[in-house]
Amino acid sequence: MTRFRLPTWFVLLLPAIIVLVAVVLIPLVLSLYSSFTPYRLTRPESLYKWIGTFNYEKAVKSAHFWAAFGRTVLLLTIALNLEMLMGLGLALLVNRVTYGQRALRTLMMFPMMFSPVLVGFQFKFIFNDNVGLVNNALQSLGLTDVAIPWLVDGKLAFMSILAAEMWSSTSVFAILILAGLFAVPRDPIEAAKVDGCTPWQSFRHITLPYIMPFIYIALAIRSLDVARAYDIVQIMTNGGPARRTELLWTMIGRTGYVDAKMGYANAMGYISIFLAIFFTIYFFRKLNAARTELGMAG
Amino acid sequence: MNENLIHRLKGHVLKVLHLFALFIAMSIICIPGLWVVLNSFRPTVEIMAKPPVWIPNDLSLDHYRAMFGAAGEGGVPVLQYFTNSLIISLTSTIIAILVGMAGGYAFARFKFRGKAGIFIGIMITRAVPGVSLSLPLFIVMAKTGLIDTHLGLILVYIALNVPFTIWLIDGFFRQVPVDLAEAAEIDGCTRWQAFWKVEFPVARAGIASAGIFAFLTSWNEYALASQLTRSTFSKTMPVGLRDFTSEFTINWGGMCALAVLMIIPALILTFIVQKHLISGLTFGGVKG
Amino acid sequence: MAQVHLRNVVKKYGQLQVVHGINLEIEDNEFVVLVGPSGCGKSTTLRMIAGLEDISGGEVGIGDRVVNDLPPRSRNISMVFQNYALYPHMTVRENLGFSLKIAKRPEAEIEQAVDEAAGILSLTEYLDRKPGALSGGQRQRVAMGRAIVRHPDVFLFDEPLSNLDAKLRTQMRTEIKKLHQKVKSTIVYVTHDQVEAMTLADRIVIMRDGHIEQVGTPLEVFEKPANTFVATFIGSPPMNLLDGQVQSGKIALDGGPSVSIPEQSRGKVQDGQAVILGFRADNLMPVGHSMPMPGEHSELGMTVNLSEPLGTETLLFGTLAGKEVQAKMLHPRPVAPGERLEFQLDLTRCHLFDAKTQQSLG
Repeated sequence: MTRFRLPTWFVLLLPAIIVLVAVVLIPLVLSLYSSFTPYRLTRPESLYKWIGTFNYEKAVKSAHFWAAFGRTVLLLTIALNLEMLMGLGLALLVNRVTYGQRALRTLMMFPMMFSPVLVGFQFKFIFNDNVGLVNNALQSLGLTDVAIPWLVDGKLAFMSILAAEMWSSTSVFAILILAGLFAVPRDPIEAAKVDGCTPWQSFRHITLPYIMPFIYIALAIRSLDVARAYDIVQIMTNGGPARRTELLWTMIGRTGYVDAKMGYANAMGYISIFLAIFFTIYFFRKLNAARTELGMAG
Repeated sequence: MNENLIHRLKGHVLKVLHLFALFIAMSIICIPGLWVVLNSFRPTVEIMAKPPVWIPNDLSLDHYRAMFGAAGEGGVPVLQYFTNSLIISLTSTIIAILVGMAGGYAFARFKFRGKAGIFIGIMITRAVPGVSLSLPLFIVMAKTGLIDTHLGLILVYIALNVPFTIWLIDGFFRQVPVDLAEAAEIDGCTRWQAFWKVEFPVARAGIASAGIFAFLTSWNEYALASQLTRSTFSKTMPVGLRDFTSEFTINWGGMCALAVLMIIPALILTFIVQKHLISGLTFGGVKG
Repeated sequence: MAQVHLRNVVKKYGQLQVVHGINLEIEDNEFVVLVGPSGCGKSTTLRMIAGLEDISGGEVGIGDRVVNDLPPRSRNISMVFQNYALYPHMTVRENLGFSLKIAKRPEAEIEQAVDEAAGILSLTEYLDRKPGALSGGQRQRVAMGRAIVRHPDVFLFDEPLSNLDAKLRTQMRTEIKKLHQKVKSTIVYVTHDQVEAMTLADRIVIMRDGHIEQVGTPLEVFEKPANTFVATFIGSPPMNLLDGQVQSGKIALDGGPSVSIPEQSRGKVQDGQAVILGFRADNLMPVGHSMPMPGEHSELGMTVNLSEPLGTETLLFGTLAGKEVQAKMLHPRPVAPGERLEFQLDLTRCHLFDAKTQQSLG
């Protein structure tokens, strides 16, 4: 008598799969369907009207959509790269410290404890043109006597958002890269020194290849979580003023909840999902490549 | 001798530059956060003063007193939000850890076809932006009556946390040598006993930190909670922060006090697990 | 090519001093081995020569330059590390050529130097592999090759063979020796293995607790150990040490027989002085199974507790003057535990140490 049994690994994964299917996959299927309808929250019967790819065409033809899309990609690219570089710099600075390093490491994690929505409020306050910390400081130091409109001017607002986003997430990079620096064996670095490397050369040729996997882990983790930036932007400017800082996510949120055009919002939502998935898979691939390079795979 | 002197001087200059750079970096990291903490002790008038008051001369616990008072600061039921946050975060964390432990164990100990694909598939569910997910979830929850309930948000947070807990716990179980469980089985344990008596205790610290990571994610989540909760009955603290804003003004002092209330548990928990958290994230990733 | 000098070199970690003012002059082309138990400061000393550790006091010089504050890259040295320290992301070829590439030498020169080193160490067929795909011995050779290509003033070896299995270690030892003959240059070599030290060194430096105990050729330190530490550290099995007292021209071993004072120590001891008598297993042999002992010798009886047959000889363990003692038996026959044998002790090969200072009295 042989009875069919599910393999153990599958049984173990089943709860995870069920939860993810119920909370993520089914709603996504629903939203995929509704993106082909003119569904509006206020008119439930509109869910059953099929309009094909109309919403997608509308999005693709909308200049607002492309502006938001471009801005989102731009923000992500700049933010992830700068965070990675600053995180690397910070990790290198802390790694050189011998006395009190534990304390510094804890301090470094400080921003990670701030909810993104809180970061949003915090920086909205700091960049407030009237009573904000930045303008107050600049004025008190006599560097300027006008109130710089940080959150009103399009470019400045973009930079302010970038600053908030970087403040909140650079630590993630720094912490993970620091872990990578700890894991670099001492011997090859010393061998490189003896082989005639300047500090910069031994960093470039030895340390960097070693910490590459860690950098990609950080990028992968961040790309999984990158939409957290929505919280910050929603609070700081909510895409405004006059769409000057509109990102894909704020646009989706407003279209869905304020304008109640769920079908259209879901169509744009799908585009944002593919964007996120693209970033994630890209970094996972890079991670694997870097691991193979060091012979760590397997 | 000259050569030696130059190198020694270079060393000193570098040391000074290093300390200076470190100081600047740490200031940037700390000041925005400390600013919030400081403002929670200052009257709103002083926070908003023009010209600015740099040296606080009127520190008080007024905002905290009001916050925990009967009506709450500015009518915001902070205590209710705190309780909501706690119930939702704790419940979802515990369940996410159990689910994640099963999943992580499967990835760490079993070989099966399409493992890498399934792993990435699970991770990608995490990459779905909260806003994009909140729209269809809103519809589903509205239909099933889960909207504006603790249960609804708990379910969502379990799903949100499962991918990451699987990643972390997979890494921790992989650090437990396979021989350990095998030795236990030879000593007469069943597979189930071997897991609970041997492998679980060894990976326990790591699992705890995965739990804290999940807790913090739920504790700080905003995008989904802001759409799936409506009333004080289920609103969490990050959503509650918005209650301090009205059309044209923001009650900064009160908001800062609530912010401090949010940060303190996070601060303590992060401090406790920082070491395991780092090793877990990196080990799981680096050793494939 | 260069000599190396250490003058009053001190290393401190905070309050903890681990190297206490070492003095050493190393000649051009000399092969010097620093040997001692772990924690004796030998590796630290080597790393100070390399520039990998700061020097807390004193002076380190290579050639005619003082190098105290120079970074390793300005010292023209090369080093072979205990764990090979190969660059895992580079092929063997890239590993070998790395230092020359950093020095911006022309491609052709790098290629030639790499090929030459690979030839010397028979690595030619592995040049395009990465270190992960090599065996322990091959990795070790790559590490050595990387040191050779630079043609440095001084080679530094930090326990290079300690991660290899016994057979490979013997083989690599020979190769290092050959290498030194081929590539004439100054070598400073650190090991905790006295056999390695004896076989490789022109001169051995024996260290303990951050001090130098003795410097000398392998035979000198074997034949004339300066103190009991060197006596037990060098040679295998370790030298037997028995406590005793000088009494009326003889040495009365504590709770045991008396033996004559070895010739070289006569006149250097006084009656009543507490001394330690040292002799190697090779100089205590059962009557009828020993080498001829033309000089002065004592005869004593000892019960054998344990025997270890090694083929051409057998090692015998017994108790003498309250201490475990090892003896050797040539042309062995089976010995049962508990059997009592008459032994001959070759007095000309005995050493006498002062019990208080542990220093040699000969």
